[in-house]
Amino acid sequence: MNQPENELARRIVEHLDAGVDQLDPATRERLLAARKRALGRYREQPAPVPGLAWAGPAIARVSGHRFYSVRNLVAVTTLVLGLTGLAIWNSFGPTHELADIDAGLLTDELPINAYLDKGFDSWLKRASR
Amino acid sequence: MRGDRSDGARVAAGIRKAGRLATYQELAEFLAKVERRAYKHALFAVRDDHLALDIVQDAMLKLTEKYSARPLAELPPLFQRILQNTILDFYRRQKVRSMWTLPISSLLGSGSDEDADPLETLEVADDSKFSEPPAEQAERSQVIAFIEKALEQLPARQRQAFLLRYWEELDVAEAAKIMGCSVGSVKTHCSRATRALSVMLGKQGIKP
Repeated sequence: MNQPENELARRIVEHLDAGVDQLDPATRERLLAARKRALGRYREQPAPVPGLAWAGPAIARVSGHRFYSVRNLVAVTTLVLGLTGLAIWNSFGPTHELADIDAGLLTDELPINAYLDKGFDSWLKRASR
Repeated sequence: MRGDRSDGARVAAGIRKAGRLATYQELAEFLAKVERRAYKHALFAVRDDHLALDIVQDAMLKLTEKYSARPLAELPPLFQRILQNTILDFYRRQKVRSMWTLPISSLLGSGSDEDADPLETLEVADDSKFSEPPAEQAERSQVIAFIEKALEQLPARQRQAFLLRYWEELDVAEAAKIMGCSVGSVKTHCSRATRALSVMLGKQGIKP
């Protein structure tokens, strides 16, 4: 756009501003009432979580559903973290050791600790009777 | 050195202020600042003061209910987008209504006013008030009234581009985003709108 058009636009806008200032009191009152009504619906909203901001639209794109709620994202993230933790705990926890002992019993390759265990010794004697 | 530091601090404070979320008070001040212009936007589009007030109220409600947790700096373009969409919704509803109420013959008339030339349809009364020598105040009011009337006569997209770009002082990219068109289209609409307004005002001997 060239300079004369910009200048004309600027002057027109000045008149529009003047027109706004000349609004009649009744309309101003109604606008004030509308604003109050709108502000009456105002409620504090949580700030978007920056790290998860991309996740809502990404999931929505894949699944076709809307997951914009931060609450939903937090719940899903907690669930995923919980399941991951459970899997890690299972792979390194006591269950894994028990599985090793069971495998040793089945293959007759018992670890030395099994023979040092008094309970195991008494069990063998009872079992042989 | 000291001046540089204080300038830097001011800029940083400005960025922090622009980036943080709007408080209730700031939202209230923002709405108070834009509500009259928003009313005029709607009035130019629908030409009915009751409908215009309804549109402004709807737009303000949508902003406070759904988008209040936004940074203060985002509110002006966001509110304009909501307002323009609410006006579009009105057009859509009106179109659906008119399909059932208007006679079929009227449906076969000219369609979109997108490329229509407002100068062909603008009726100028012979006994125009603007040729009379009124007092300065009255003359100013008449000029304002004529400019507002001329804006109403513009095709919707031209008016929208002109108001967003010059009255709301949005940049071309923001206006394009709100209007859902290219930057080039916004520039074209603005240029056509300004030219049309210039011709309309010129015909009346008005120099704004």
